[in-house]
Amino acid sequence: MGGGGTAVVSGEPGPKATGEAALTGRSPGQLMWTRFKRDRTGVISAYVVGFFFLIGLLAPLISKVYGKNPYTVYADERPDLFDSAGVPVHPNGGISGQFWFGLEPGNGYDVFTKLIYGIRTSLMISVAVTVAVVVTGILLGVAAGYLGGKTDYFIGRVIDFLLAFPAQLFFIASMPVVVSLFVSPRDETPTYVRVLALIIVQWFLGWMGLGRILRGTALALREREFIEAAKVSGASPWRIIRKEILPNIVTPLLVQSTYLLPNFVTAEAGLSYLGVGIVEPTPDWGQMFSKASTELVMQNDITYMFFPGISMIVFVVAFNLLGDSVRDAFDPKTAR
Amino acid sequence: MLRFLVRRIIGAVVILFLLSIVTFVLFFGVPRDPALLMCGKTCNPDSIANIHHVLGLDKPLTEQYWIFLHNLVMGSNQFAQGPCPAPCFGYSYHTNDPVWSTLMDRLPTTVSLTLGAAVCFLIVGLGTGLLAAWRRGTLVDKTATGGAMVISALQIYFLGPLALAILVYQTHWFDKPAYNDFTGDPLSWFTGLIIPWVVLSTIFAAQYTRMARSAMIEQLQEEHVRTARAKGMSRRYVFFRYAWRGSLIPIVTIFGIDLGSLLGGAIITEYTFGLPGLGQLAVQSVFFSDLPLLLGVMLFAATMILVFNIVVDATYAFIDPRVRLS
Repeated sequence: MGGGGTAVVSGEPGPKATGEAALTGRSPGQLMWTRFKRDRTGVISAYVVGFFFLIGLLAPLISKVYGKNPYTVYADERPDLFDSAGVPVHPNGGISGQFWFGLEPGNGYDVFTKLIYGIRTSLMISVAVTVAVVVTGILLGVAAGYLGGKTDYFIGRVIDFLLAFPAQLFFIASMPVVVSLFVSPRDETPTYVRVLALIIVQWFLGWMGLGRILRGTALALREREFIEAAKVSGASPWRIIRKEILPNIVTPLLVQSTYLLPNFVTAEAGLSYLGVGIVEPTPDWGQMFSKASTELVMQNDITYMFFPGISMIVFVVAFNLLGDSVRDAFDPKTAR
Repeated sequence: MLRFLVRRIIGAVVILFLLSIVTFVLFFGVPRDPALLMCGKTCNPDSIANIHHVLGLDKPLTEQYWIFLHNLVMGSNQFAQGPCPAPCFGYSYHTNDPVWSTLMDRLPTTVSLTLGAAVCFLIVGLGTGLLAAWRRGTLVDKTATGGAMVISALQIYFLGPLALAILVYQTHWFDKPAYNDFTGDPLSWFTGLIIPWVVLSTIFAAQYTRMARSAMIEQLQEEHVRTARAKGMSRRYVFFRYAWRGSLIPIVTIFGIDLGSLLGGAIITEYTFGLPGLGQLAVQSVFFSDLPLLLGVMLFAATMILVFNIVVDATYAFIDPRVRLS
């Protein structure tokens, strides 16, 4: 629990520290940061996670330097690299100096650019979902916890109701519905509509966990003395929420978001795997898995499978470790 | 206990009722026309209108919902395909089979898949988790924790195709997974489901390992455990008689949620291995815009989730004597 107040350790400096600066107080944020920096696992996983985001961000630049794009159908451009079934003739999925991660069986897309662009798409969607979920969680969770009474009861029942939804089934079923809100079923669906639909359906059933946690935090904060003091001195509810409550929910918010984001990544990938998310030719992490599970890949050369597979494991493990480290840094009491 | 059950069941029925309204409006109220798929190439406005009339889609939405609800509770003789006893979800647009019997046909596959996997992952997951907690800090613990961390990050859509590719397509050690009726041929039922069970339970077992370990370690720091140790009880006795029981509560909660959602259709697993369960049915009904079937699967899956929520809460009373149901 941070933010309540900072312990300022002032006073005389130590006996021989005449030239040194006086001890200054550290804010909870600074304390957290020092603790985090000492956690080697946390720092390494932070670098790994950062690396993935950097790849996603710089995908166009990287592929420009690399000289290829994820849309070129090499099965047509360079038919000499494929056998009659569309499998790369070179061993290990056609890995070579020219095609670092090989070629995709079938259409023959370049796997390296496909993967980095796929990571870009997936991360973009997941970050958007996380932001939407965080905003909703704050709004409804804090409102329920702080205002209490009827608001709390109502939001609580809505959460109960949404938790009874079979989430994955609902995602699959409602994707075409949400898409058809934007385009008529006879037209081709543009990619941005699919992206938007993926964000909407995941957001709709994604915020309840966070909302409940923030409700609990706000409920506990409401009874604290500093809130009472603010109330007595005539602060408006809006001001109390903004200035007193919000800074104090940053901790659970940050910890929960680091746990949520990888879940959204894997859920989105699952939808694309099932064929209701992002579809070819738009590169997407999950859609690579759906390609990897075709008989063409499973029967001939499974190298292709490992690029999306291993990269996603590394991503999820790093993100989960980061989440644990962030939690430990904020709350050193938790046992591992 | 009885009062608790009655109250929770009423609550669940209310939620199901609301859920049916939301899904109904979502699937029937939005202009995504199943008639377009059904009339195929000879489509003209007349034939579409005709299909609409046959399906009852030309009526106002509230009336359609009322008919749906009425059929669900009372059954119906209005369908051209034949009588439809309660619970009547109508007939599939695509196959013309009654939805309820289709659901019941698919259920054994999903139940076999889920229960088989659940047995595996509970034994392996809880066993490894308890072992790791018992030997906390040792190499055994570190291996188990690290392994569980990585394995729980695996996804079925990666591990499933990988297992298929290696065990079926490359080495031909196993046949392609398939569902065979247990009563007909127990052996082929077992061999057909073994790969899906292993894949599904590997990932779940890793999650349960982590969960069981941390729940157990938390329990071991409880005061009643310390008191028991201070009284001179052996570590083993305290571990297996005291702490173990307390650590079950969070695990039972998660297990109930997992079981409920798996029984409503292990979608990705069934899709990957081509098993004809409820999850695969759901994916198919989405692709064919088969609204009655979709609504049926959806409500069935939600019922499973709600039923297991109630079961979990009732189980608390048996595990934790402090819990009084009211």
